[in-house]
Amino acid sequence: MAASLTPRKALNTALLTLGYALLGAFVLFPIYWIFTMSLKEFGDIIAYPPRFSFVPTFENYREVLFGNEADQAGGVMPDLLRFLRNSVIISSGAVLLSVILGLPAAYALARGEAKRANRARFTILSFRFAPELAIILPLYAFYTRTGLYDSYVGMILVHQLITLPLMILILMSFIRDIPIEIEEAARIDGAGPLTILLQIIVPIAKPGLASAMIIAFIFSWNNLIFGLVLAGGETRPITMGILQAMTFDQIKWGLMAAAAMVSAVPGMIASILFQRQITRGLTLGAVK
Amino acid sequence: MASVVIDNVRKAFGQVEVIKGVSLDIAEGEFVALVGPSGCGKSTLLRMIAGLEAVSDGEIRIGDRVVNDIEPKDRDVAMVFQSYALYPHMTVAENLSFALRLKKTARDKVDSRVDHAARMLGLADLLQRLPRQLSGGQRQRVAMGRALVRNPQVFLFDEPLSNLDAKLRVQMRAEIKKLHQSLKVTTVYVTHDQMEAMTLADRVVVLQGGVIEQAGRPLDLYDRPANAFVAGFIGSPAMNLLSGRISADGADFEFSPQTKLSLPEPLRPFAGRPVTLGVRPEHLNVAKDAKGAPAKALVIEPTGAETHAVLDLGGRELTTVFRERIPIAPGEIVAMSIAPGAVHLFDPASGQRI
Ligand SMILES: Nc1ncnc2c1ncn2[C@@H]1O[C@H](COP(=O)(O)OP(=O)(O)OP(=O)(O)O)[C@@H](O)[C@H]1O
Ligand SMILES: [Mg+2]
Repeated sequence: MAASLTPRKALNTALLTLGYALLGAFVLFPIYWIFTMSLKEFGDIIAYPPRFSFVPTFENYREVLFGNEADQAGGVMPDLLRFLRNSVIISSGAVLLSVILGLPAAYALARGEAKRANRARFTILSFRFAPELAIILPLYAFYTRTGLYDSYVGMILVHQLITLPLMILILMSFIRDIPIEIEEAARIDGAGPLTILLQIIVPIAKPGLASAMIIAFIFSWNNLIFGLVLAGGETRPITMGILQAMTFDQIKWGLMAAAAMVSAVPGMIASILFQRQITRGLTLGAVK
Repeated sequence: MASVVIDNVRKAFGQVEVIKGVSLDIAEGEFVALVGPSGCGKSTLLRMIAGLEAVSDGEIRIGDRVVNDIEPKDRDVAMVFQSYALYPHMTVAENLSFALRLKKTARDKVDSRVDHAARMLGLADLLQRLPRQLSGGQRQRVAMGRALVRNPQVFLFDEPLSNLDAKLRVQMRAEIKKLHQSLKVTTVYVTHDQMEAMTLADRVVVLQGGVIEQAGRPLDLYDRPANAFVAGFIGSPAMNLLSGRISADGADFEFSPQTKLSLPEPLRPFAGRPVTLGVRPEHLNVAKDAKGAPAKALVIEPTGAETHAVLDLGGRELTTVFRERIPIAPGEIVAMSIAPGAVHLFDPASGQRI
């Protein structure tokens, strides 16, 4: 018999599989729930006990994406595509700016004196410790006075609080893995610091750069609070778009679910396509 | 090509001084090997010549230019690293041409130089490969090629062969020597392998603890080591170094009152004096039925061309090497004597040759 598993091994495998299944369910069930909700009519959604079989409808999607002619007056949702565009602009812009600022910073910290680098790393990390709510009010005051409120520039700048630390920390760890002799060889070969950064470090750290960019993009995309407080009608991101389903008199669950699904699409696509880079970026230092 | 002058150079990392005043004149076209035990400062000295490490004190000149404050890229030196340090994202051709491209050398000149180096090193068929698609020996050649293409004033090597297997190492050693003979570029070669140093270099510099113990031609170092350290470091198997005294009549070397080894020629000027006696293994003769001190064979290692034997004489272990076929078994007692003119004497306190 090929599969001559000892009972003990078989038990282990079974337990492990069960564990994965539970973990999978824990992660996937909410997505499943929202997904089915987005396909339900209002009546199916509020039914008690919950209905697992229903006639799926794309009405919610049609409405969040293209609006509802019957309801022009309170037409809250047709803007979702605009929110989507805002999010793309803000998150891509934020990631791009973080690359420009974070790459030289990460390089300097990775190659600099270890003690100073660790101190800097802690400072940068501490930006992520502080709850955004703690700083949002002063920022609001500052933004309204400087004209940054409800501007793409303002949103891209504030998103640096999310994307820049991620970029620096992830890149720093990737750059540290590049043997210093390679840089020394380049120095002797005639390369200056900028040439070394652009022609040696960046190409070698490309996988690191990719994972840092993807992770930073997802984190930025998922942010709610900055959009809630600092963006106005012009720059509202997709996460705010979901909230539009809450109106004075009711919560349109179906619309909210559909909008949430739409907003989750880029994250899901990225995690499927770039699974390897993301895991590598998120587990830095865990295994070497 | 240029000369390299190291003038009373010191290097400290923080409070720790690792190069403690080294002076060395390297002539144009000379091949100098730096040897010494691990941590003696070989790499540090080489890296200072390359400009990768700042000089704490003293002066380094390449040609007639003081280079202390000159960037590595402006020193016109090429270096081969132990780890090869190839650019992993570039093909062999791109690795070889990197320095020339940075200097904006004309395209056809780059190509012809790369081509020439590749043919010299047998890399012509590998030009489009990435470093990770190469064997260790091939990577090593690319590292050498990268230095060659530059046509620099000085070649610097930091243990370039130590990651290769023994056979390849010997082969590359010969190639490096051939290259130097045809190009005549000033070369500083760091190794901890004294054999490599001896076979390659015009001059061998033995470093220990950040100071030069001795610098000289390979055979001078072998035949007249300036001190006990060099005596023990150069040569394999290592020279036997025994502490004891010359007997009152100058005819014997006494390990202890009971154990003596008679000297090939009497050393009357040193009679009664405590010394460290040095004898190379090949100068320690053993025979089965002859006159000599009775030594007990401990380990016999036949290598084919020669046989290495470790013997016990009055509680000290001595190594001998002989090319004859002498049938000795471990445990056997043989007669040991020193070949004429083969005695080195060192001061037991200072280690200096006397
Ligand atoms: N960047 C550094 N900071 C502090 N100490 C250093 C540094 N580089 C080298 N050293 C110390 O300087 C001494 C000489 O080092 P070096 O690398 O020159 O030795 P080496 O002779 O090349 O040895 P090996 O044969 O092991 O390569 C060592 O004691 C080492 O610990
Ligand atoms: Mg070294």
